[in-house]
Amino acid sequence: MIYEKPVFKPGGDRYMLIEFGDELNLALNFTAHSLGDAIAQSGMKAVIESAPCFASLLLHYEPDLISFSDLRREMVSLIDTLGSSAEIELPSRLFYFPTCYLDPWTKACVEDYSAKITPKKWDAEYVAEINGLSGPEQLVRVHSGTEYWVASLGFWPGLPFLMPLDPRSRLTAPKYNPPRTWTPQGTVGMGGAASAIYPVATPGGYQIFARIPIPIWDTERRFPEFEHSICLFKPGDRIKFVPCSVEEFKETEAQVAAGTYVYNVVGYQKFSVRQYSDWLATVDASKRF
Amino acid sequence: MIDVVVAGLETSVQDFPGRIGFWNQGFPPSGPFDSWSFRLANLLVGNPAGAAGLECQYVGPTLRFTEAAVIAVTGADMTPTLDSAPVPLWRSVAVEAGQTLKMGPAKFGTRAYIAIAGGIDTVPWLGSRSTFHKAGVGGLAGSALKKGSQIPVAYAAGTPGRSVKPECRPEFSSNKQWQIEVVPGPDDDWIDEAGQARFLGSDWKLSGKSDRTGFRLDGPQWTFTAKAYDKLPENGSEPSNIIDHGYPLGAINLAGQTPIILVSDGPSMGGFINPYTVPSAAFWKLGQSRPGDIYRFKAVSVDEAQALRRTLDALCSESSLA
Repeated sequence: MIYEKPVFKPGGDRYMLIEFGDELNLALNFTAHSLGDAIAQSGMKAVIESAPCFASLLLHYEPDLISFSDLRREMVSLIDTLGSSAEIELPSRLFYFPTCYLDPWTKACVEDYSAKITPKKWDAEYVAEINGLSGPEQLVRVHSGTEYWVASLGFWPGLPFLMPLDPRSRLTAPKYNPPRTWTPQGTVGMGGAASAIYPVATPGGYQIFARIPIPIWDTERRFPEFEHSICLFKPGDRIKFVPCSVEEFKETEAQVAAGTYVYNVVGYQKFSVRQYSDWLATVDASKRF
Repeated sequence: MIDVVVAGLETSVQDFPGRIGFWNQGFPPSGPFDSWSFRLANLLVGNPAGAAGLECQYVGPTLRFTEAAVIAVTGADMTPTLDSAPVPLWRSVAVEAGQTLKMGPAKFGTRAYIAIAGGIDTVPWLGSRSTFHKAGVGGLAGSALKKGSQIPVAYAAGTPGRSVKPECRPEFSSNKQWQIEVVPGPDDDWIDEAGQARFLGSDWKLSGKSDRTGFRLDGPQWTFTAKAYDKLPENGSEPSNIIDHGYPLGAINLAGQTPIILVSDGPSMGGFINPYTVPSAAFWKLGQSRPGDIYRFKAVSVDEAQALRRTLDALCSESSLA
């Protein structure tokens, strides 16, 4: 649900978590970003930084400059000034990624977890099963059947938190218990109803069943896409996973290593919340691909 | 320059408060674990409290000074010597060109800090010299010191013979037990009363599977309120699962049944709940403990946590020096 009033929760002596709702909903993500932008524009010195996510905004504040209750009061009035997200139109880049679904690397990672930590069904089979799909092949069709919205960056530098824009591709799954201690670089996975790409080999909690051969962060800035930031994405970008074979994966991987890979990204489109909402109303979310 | 003769166990360049302002892209602050000892080391040699220095873990390095300097060693006792003569902790000391500072294993505490008058002069990365090991950025070539590395220093004058008043130094646990403050929240409402009482009333052992991103704790099972079960599927079905959200630094992040304290190089976001948060004023205790040590948590309010922070900041000032 979308909360009638935001909920303000403390995080130790210098953080405040503002929750706008407890569902995955593009409007909540826009609210989180709008409040983050409004704080930045207000020039409030007491807020050091903010981190928007799907349905919430985390504030890092300076307790020597403002108390928790005063900050809450300031946020309540700032939230009141935010306009509706319904008419927002923003430039939105679309990245196409060759994606090796049901790949041998994430499968080996799950097997390693099963052997060393706790026995677990292969993630592709498990996610298909709990979502009522016929099997891993349909999972590939459903997961790759939509554009994904980059809702925020976090967990690790440049890691995009993604939500499927087409409700027919919406899947849900629990996160690992306990989490994995490692995940192959470029792994695509999902947990809750969100998807993500792991920029480097890190621990992780998402169900994993695909991999891309393309860097999404680069401290050496080998490709022009990293000229302004070592993180490839920014919130409001979109991603399309295009299924590819192991051979195509390796071919692209070799191009990346040689520095000849050309990112497949289009920059001529705008995302219109109004048009998206209108389209959403026509879609039967219970249908699968 | 300072020549690294022996690297020690993960000795790294850090500054305080570290790499701030990039949480929304996923960059952690890094920085020293025990900022109390770190800041006092800098003040002893006349640096700003946050200037770049060295953090030594478990076993310290051996360093050869190519130029004369004023240094201070604080934090854990790694029995430092300068050309075999013992170096007092918590005191600024003159080093002559060509002398060698040798540190051993930590006898008391876990992390020691070395400040050099003028500060370490590596190239800042995103506004900070702190090392973020896992991403290979900041510090000296993005990693811990290596044998043969050379550390650039912006030498400045310092006053030898200054010391930190004994009552202004952190007191490390001598029996492997630590009382750590926690502020309930942001997600304490997901844990039932019995679970909260169990968390605050039990011993938690710091696991060997801990690193700079998180301190894993071993202890009893967690129990949850209805909120953890009666929720929309996009949260994830496990009770500790929530829609991905920003994590406070110091959060006690409940991944399944495993609590992990998110420390200096921790993740900025994720989909597990954070029932409690360790306030900044208690971080030094995390930094001076080691796997096998026992934590007992004590709940404090936001106001109390902020008061502790003010007390600590007041201690990290010129008035603590003699």
